[in-house]
Amino acid sequence: MRYPVFLALLACALAAIMAGHAARAGAQEGVQPQPAYQNMTPEQRAAATRAFLGLGPEPDKAAAARGGAIYLASCAFCHGPQARGATGASLITSDEVLLDDHGERLVAFLRRGRPEKGMPAFATMTDAELKDIAEFLHLQVEEVANRGAYRVLNILVGNAANGHAYVDAHCMSCHAAEAFAHIGNRYRSPDQLQRGWVWPARGGDAALAVTATVKAADGATISGRATQVSDFRITLVDSVGQTHAIDRWPGVTVQCNDPLAAHQQMINTLTNDDMHNVTAYLNTLK
Amino acid sequence: MRLSMGWCAAFALAALAGAAIAVSQVSPHVMLDPSAIGKAPTTSWATFNGDYTAQRYSRLTQIKPANVGRLARHWVYKITEVGAQRGAPVPVIKCTPLMVAGVLYITIPDHVWALDARTGDPLWRYDWVDRGGHLVGQRGVALWKTTVYFLTPDNWLIALDANTGKELWKKNYADARKQYFSTSAPLIVKNHVIVGVGGDAMDMPGFLDSFDPVTGELQWTWWSTPRKGDAALATWPNEAASDHGGGMTWMPGTCDPELNLIYWPTGNTNPVFAGQGRPGANLWTEAIVALDPDTGKLKWYFQVSPHDTHDFDNTTAPILFDRVVDGKPRKLLAQAARNGYFVTLDRITGEHVVVKPFVPLDWSAGLSPQGEPIPIPDKDPTVGGSINIVNASNWEAPAYNPKTGLFYVNSVEGKAIYYLTDSSAQPSGYGGTGAGIGPATRVLQAIDPLTGNAAWRHAYPNLNNAPSTLGPSILTTASNLLITGDDQKNAIIFSADKGQILWHRELSASESSGIITYMLDGKQYIIFGAGDSLYAWSLPR
Repeated sequence: MRYPVFLALLACALAAIMAGHAARAGAQEGVQPQPAYQNMTPEQRAAATRAFLGLGPEPDKAAAARGGAIYLASCAFCHGPQARGATGASLITSDEVLLDDHGERLVAFLRRGRPEKGMPAFATMTDAELKDIAEFLHLQVEEVANRGAYRVLNILVGNAANGHAYVDAHCMSCHAAEAFAHIGNRYRSPDQLQRGWVWPARGGDAALAVTATVKAADGATISGRATQVSDFRITLVDSVGQTHAIDRWPGVTVQCNDPLAAHQQMINTLTNDDMHNVTAYLNTLK
Repeated sequence: MRLSMGWCAAFALAALAGAAIAVSQVSPHVMLDPSAIGKAPTTSWATFNGDYTAQRYSRLTQIKPANVGRLARHWVYKITEVGAQRGAPVPVIKCTPLMVAGVLYITIPDHVWALDARTGDPLWRYDWVDRGGHLVGQRGVALWKTTVYFLTPDNWLIALDANTGKELWKKNYADARKQYFSTSAPLIVKNHVIVGVGGDAMDMPGFLDSFDPVTGELQWTWWSTPRKGDAALATWPNEAASDHGGGMTWMPGTCDPELNLIYWPTGNTNPVFAGQGRPGANLWTEAIVALDPDTGKLKWYFQVSPHDTHDFDNTTAPILFDRVVDGKPRKLLAQAARNGYFVTLDRITGEHVVVKPFVPLDWSAGLSPQGEPIPIPDKDPTVGGSINIVNASNWEAPAYNPKTGLFYVNSVEGKAIYYLTDSSAQPSGYGGTGAGIGPATRVLQAIDPLTGNAAWRHAYPNLNNAPSTLGPSILTTASNLLITGDDQKNAIIFSADKGQILWHRELSASESSGIITYMLDGKQYIIFGAGDSLYAWSLPR
């Protein structure tokens, strides 16, 4: 047979990595890595998602803030504080709202009201006030429908003392205490810290790279940093920086070593409480 | 128009309706006998899954282990006429091609091609100018007599002349401004063109529509969530939550003509990740439902993910097959669900035969008396983050081989952290987010559907994560072939019984479409798309 089963193959498969890829959840195709979003600012991510989803123009946030105050006083009683419905309908999926861009339809609609359904006319408000309400409604739609604009909340829900105990019990067999010095300052946000300690980004860190030793049929070996492995080929960079792409013919054996193997095992058993506690603890190490 | 302003300018000069472009002087003569739809595919591939069972199994044996090493590229058709689309920098063929009378039909969002199956040369192309909707994928067309049916991102059912691409009629069935969008292939059963829909950004209810194939007249609608007066409303806190409960129908169903039932997988519940506003099982989202194709009436359901909070979006194909169980012939249905459970049901009654995890998972506290997984609330998305599995499967086609008795699926094993981003009592939209953490490995599994156990597994080595958004589909044959691929541009053929690699070729992109096979002029072809190219393979003389 041309393709014998390599025992080492499993080890390589287990070494599959996700080198710091940001990820997002998407309609139809689920929770997925989405490297393209990795380096975007939150504003860019929101704009890209708005375009992808076809959500129309960006709401005017300053106008929406002004409109919010008017809305809360005049509309929230029936439609709920976030326009998601109360005794009156949700406005998030309202045709009147979705057909409007910046008040060109909604201003006239609000001025007239819908008396036949019990909605009063807002005839005394100025055009500017009604337009501000329209922008507020568009922002409510945006905050629901544009998941690229979602923000995690305050994820520091754990108990730092318990997290300290977990680190002492589970981490110190591999890591020196200095490894955690100032770790709370190394990430942009607590959720990045949580992501970063559970599964450290390998980046260019040689100490975190997957390494492999390839043994040819004639017994010659090459070792180095593995950059990719398939059923048919392994690519590695040796100690002098030379790249080798080696076909996995019969007789070629591959041994991989992943320095993050212990983290992979941890991910498979880590409880939510332990994760929250450790994050809370590490966040104190400023 | 709030939701289409961005494109109005770009398409100001384009025609409002779609247009057919003849690109060949050759005039095909496609006429599909409706009674052939759903039969085992040999000289054609006439419906999305090849037949109504979705086994994606071919009786053809010309290509077999003894000669597969000689398999060669017969032709390649590369899409060059369509550039970047909204959210899609390059075209990716995610359809299952159809082939009837020497004509292949392929799609990407907004575009249909008819190709000469012998040469790959285009015969005609149909271009639609959408006014909204996602362009995340297009799964293919349906065919009936001389008509092709195509769904657009903005939810138009378009009937085209199969021989010219000329538009016959069109019908809009959902509002893109409410984030409904369409990617599916219609399913034709008797005189019903059955159409599903997608879209979960705005808490809308899923549905199936059935249309007359000649006139486009609506015959029935089935809603994925119960309406007023239905006992299933007890699985929702109130009618408004049910009316906004999701359950999209964006992958084609399967059909048992003898039982006169269609089997449809229903998608994720809404709000997607924030379940606190919708306590209850949330029927009939995340389920497999059996409907009467003539009326759209529900006959039975099995909910694979009661009260889902992980976008487990239960849309993988429910495959139909018959087996003898404990000495009795049984009509069965099996699904390798996105929530990680392998499910085998009696397809007459919906009663479960096997419900068993096929990937390592820990979100369930066991099964209800009906065999439905019971979720563990601690595994719900939370403000602080909750670790759970990524989708264990997706829309890519699984397969079943009656000769081996095995069910094949390219599964994914990996974890994600799920955050609740809307902790209010009345969340809306997604209300949360999920991000993969650590390795995600694609594993080809051959599962015994009577036990749920894998007879063999093949973990594809890959130092990058297996993408769940795009992956290889599967086709299997009577000659013991299993045709699929990896995530590193390799098309791979395994032996179906043992999982040995028999053949592979590196392509310009990873396989991205359904895989089909048929006999034409005495030659067996294997056809699939990889990125922007459609490949035809056969044995050279």
